[in-house]
Amino acid sequence: MPDWKVEISKRLAGLNLSPTREAAIIEELSQHLEDCYEEWLASGKTPEEAHRLTLAELRGSKLLQRELRRVERQVSQEPIITGLHRRGNMIADVWQDLRYAGRIFLTKPAFTLVVILTLGLGIGANTTIFSVINSLLLKPLPFSDPDRLALVWQASINDPSSWNIISAPNYLDWQRQNQVFANMAIFDSAGKGYNLSGDGEPARVSGVRVSASFFDVLGVQPQLGRTFLPEDETPGKHQVVVLSDGLWRSRYGADATLIGRTIKVEGEAHTVIGVMPPAFEFQIFSSPRQLWVPVVYTEGDKDRGSNSFICIARLKPEVTIEQARAAMNTIGLALSEQYPKENNGVTATAILMGEFGYEEQQSTFFMLLAVAGFVLLIACINVANLLMARGVTRQREFAIRAALGASRSRTVRQLLTESLLLAMAGGISGILLAVWSSNLLLKTLPQSLKAIPFRSLNSITIDFKVLAFTWGITCLTGIIFGLAPALIFSKRDVNESLQEGSRGTSAGSGAKLRQSLVILEVALALIVLTGAGLLLESMMRLVKVEPGFEASNLLIMNLSLPQKNLYYSPPEHPQFAHDLEEQVGSIPGVVSVSAVSHLPMYGGMASRGFVIEGRPDPGLDNSPGARYSVVCPNYFQTMGIRLLSGREFTEQDSQNAPGVIVINEALAQRYWENEDPVGQRIKIGRFDTDAPWLTIVGVAQNVKQDGLDRQSRAEFFRPYNQAAWPVMTIVVRTTSSPSAFLTPIKQALARVEPDRPVSGITTMNEILYNSLGERRFPMMLLLAFSFVALTLAAVGIAGVVSFSVSQRTREIGIRMALGARKSDIIKLVLNRSMGAALIGIGLGIAGSYGLTKFLSGLLFEVKPMEPNILGIVAVILVGVAFLACYLPARRAAKVDPMITLRCE
Amino acid sequence: MTYINSPRLDRELKKGSAELLILSLVESRARHGYEISKLIESRSDGMLKFNVASLYPLLYRLEKRKWIEGHWVEKAGQRRRRYYKLTKEGKKVLAAQRNTWQSFVAAINQITGLDNA
Repeated sequence: MPDWKVEISKRLAGLNLSPTREAAIIEELSQHLEDCYEEWLASGKTPEEAHRLTLAELRGSKLLQRELRRVERQVSQEPIITGLHRRGNMIADVWQDLRYAGRIFLTKPAFTLVVILTLGLGIGANTTIFSVINSLLLKPLPFSDPDRLALVWQASINDPSSWNIISAPNYLDWQRQNQVFANMAIFDSAGKGYNLSGDGEPARVSGVRVSASFFDVLGVQPQLGRTFLPEDETPGKHQVVVLSDGLWRSRYGADATLIGRTIKVEGEAHTVIGVMPPAFEFQIFSSPRQLWVPVVYTEGDKDRGSNSFICIARLKPEVTIEQARAAMNTIGLALSEQYPKENNGVTATAILMGEFGYEEQQSTFFMLLAVAGFVLLIACINVANLLMARGVTRQREFAIRAALGASRSRTVRQLLTESLLLAMAGGISGILLAVWSSNLLLKTLPQSLKAIPFRSLNSITIDFKVLAFTWGITCLTGIIFGLAPALIFSKRDVNESLQEGSRGTSAGSGAKLRQSLVILEVALALIVLTGAGLLLESMMRLVKVEPGFEASNLLIMNLSLPQKNLYYSPPEHPQFAHDLEEQVGSIPGVVSVSAVSHLPMYGGMASRGFVIEGRPDPGLDNSPGARYSVVCPNYFQTMGIRLLSGREFTEQDSQNAPGVIVINEALAQRYWENEDPVGQRIKIGRFDTDAPWLTIVGVAQNVKQDGLDRQSRAEFFRPYNQAAWPVMTIVVRTTSSPSAFLTPIKQALARVEPDRPVSGITTMNEILYNSLGERRFPMMLLLAFSFVALTLAAVGIAGVVSFSVSQRTREIGIRMALGARKSDIIKLVLNRSMGAALIGIGLGIAGSYGLTKFLSGLLFEVKPMEPNILGIVAVILVGVAFLACYLPARRAAKVDPMITLRCE
Repeated sequence: MTYINSPRLDRELKKGSAELLILSLVESRARHGYEISKLIESRSDGMLKFNVASLYPLLYRLEKRKWIEGHWVEKAGQRRRRYYKLTKEGKKVLAAQRNTWQSFVAAINQITGLDNA
């Protein structure tokens, strides 16, 4: 009998039918041909003739193919068994694989959902952190051609990376002498508050003095009016102001006719000449600026030794930042020789603006991204384990594929397609999670992490870069968790699997791999947990630190005072402290009230050099210095700062009374270690000045000025009536919750200083809480991550143990039939499974050494490898692993040997 | 009737009527492909003949439209064969096609006067 199958197959080649469909058609058609052939033979034809006539049924080689192609054009509905020897059609294959994978997953919705959620959690965590990094650190600066913008600093000749702010005379020399910048500008390094009055309620807004070229260097255009011209820097013509979009809208109702009108800034009429666009939020180290005024150099500004400006510059098109840096160094060295007194030991340097000022945030966020990466890896391991467990039950399917001629690579491809499909679904749920959580994160992000110079973070967008990142990790994820199962199950021995019958076998190498994955998973969870533990311990130690003051029931607000000549001259409102006490102190429920120039933990500081009476002149370079604060009477009492000796200031320490000063413990210990400083005299500045000698009247307890985690610095305090300060922070101690007293206090302050707005209203508790934000934020995230990691690890371990137990039901049944007790079975299962967990813990401890090094900046009085923390974390993990092993083990021990064996 | 054997007319006629023929043949009971082809040949006195290359694609098309349904049937002592039977949907289609065909033939007859011949 001729082989019709070959003839038919030849004609079907090129149709790319699915193998089963092709086989069915061949069978049916060859039968038809066989019937024909037999009929021809029966009618008396010779076999040759019969063969020829039968083949005529196929009518040439093209007709069948053409007709079938029309019918079979749509992809076959049959289950796909891949890999018969046909030329690969890549796209069709991928499509087939995807459809098959989709069908497989739909048959196991619970499994699929668990996998997608697990992956979504991991991918979502990474996408969230990355979207914050993207919005905060990777976006270009919001200025025109930002890659050409540079910051020019003064730097020490010995240490060129020690950047410092600059003085106006140096800036003017740089500007004249350099050939590398197309344009340069300066602005006040500190910026300051400006009082707006005249139009409605007085308000205090943040503003900054800038040189006329400032906006041109940045390349930003106003949305209304103009920016500064060089003549705006001329005294007399300088009373012009540019407003931010926010201020223009909130205070002036977006009134376009405001341009050309005058408003009162610091009590003086200024003409509004321009309004900047909404996107322009120029901020450095603080909140965005709301107004800009042209710089007019004061006598203080003209001092070459008085550094108070920041310099920005735009590189000429052909100049690189390295060339600019070298050129500025040359100019800086020359100026240092020319002005040896003021420019002693300093030069100039330049850096790209985009590279400035986010090292701290960068390290925090990249640490968080690394931890999120660990969580994703744990999620991957869990999914890989789930897939391997399922793979074992699908062994027969793989064997049939192989028997039908599927190559190993073809099966790997099918399995990887399944993994990638799962990963994609996980990726999509991860993006959804990130959309929600990134904005939640933004709300909890502490100001210190948000405040990156020149950038502002108002919203977190899931943009192209984030999607590309997610796409990348999603594919990587799919390959990571899919590859191991794919490689293992594609190399199964066909005969072995088919002979085993429908029951899956416990695959030797698969079981080993599953154990290894558990080890890795436990190790990773331990690393994440250790990180969280160290940060938590740091936080717990921090909140126990004594700040040196009593924070509860303290209301805080800023008040600017009339003070034309800053810092050194007598107060223009000498009755201020008296009025404050009289108006605010008399409110029922107010225990005491005072004011201070530099409230602890509130940002801002001043320091002064001083000399001590009766001691040798240390010379200009070695004169001692300390923090400097101006306070009103009752300050120490109001704040709850103990006085160790002497007294605090009273109303009697007036302008005409002898100069007095209070010092803190740190200062006393440094300069009067073995004697009582009270009664000693110091002078601010140098011996040869005519500044008054100040008698130390009291020693106050140390206060954490810069945060609970910082050392207390030497500090001295002067009474307000003898050393005025333009902006004072009012502190009010109340009998109960301070917010209830806000309105009467504000009313009282309006009587003390009419037309002077209060700003920055808060409580000391809130300040204390916010001071920990930079640590609390990564700690909370790490705690959340470690919770997820621990849960995933527990689920992963339990899954693997349950699976291995279910695979060994028969073995357990036999053992029990042979006399093993329940406890023996539990021990057996625990021994094998806990071994892996313990190895994982060991590896994790070694691995946390690597991670905690990156954490060291966030730790407080905790060593990166703190044994207590490692111990607690290890115990937690052992406990969780034990539970995760014990529950399936107990189930295993409930196996009825008779039932098990009968099933066999 | 010699012209009926010309390949072009053959194809056109078959195209219009082939579906109707097959549906009619599997109406009473399920039949396999070879049987269908033999029945068409014998009942048309050899005038209509489907070969493998045209019959099976047609069967598959009808099956895909869910007008007929194919099953593999194994009978003792024989190799298994694929039998096709009419589905519910197929029955409706067959009834409609019969009507159309009758009207069509009647119309042709009226025009060509064959009715009176």
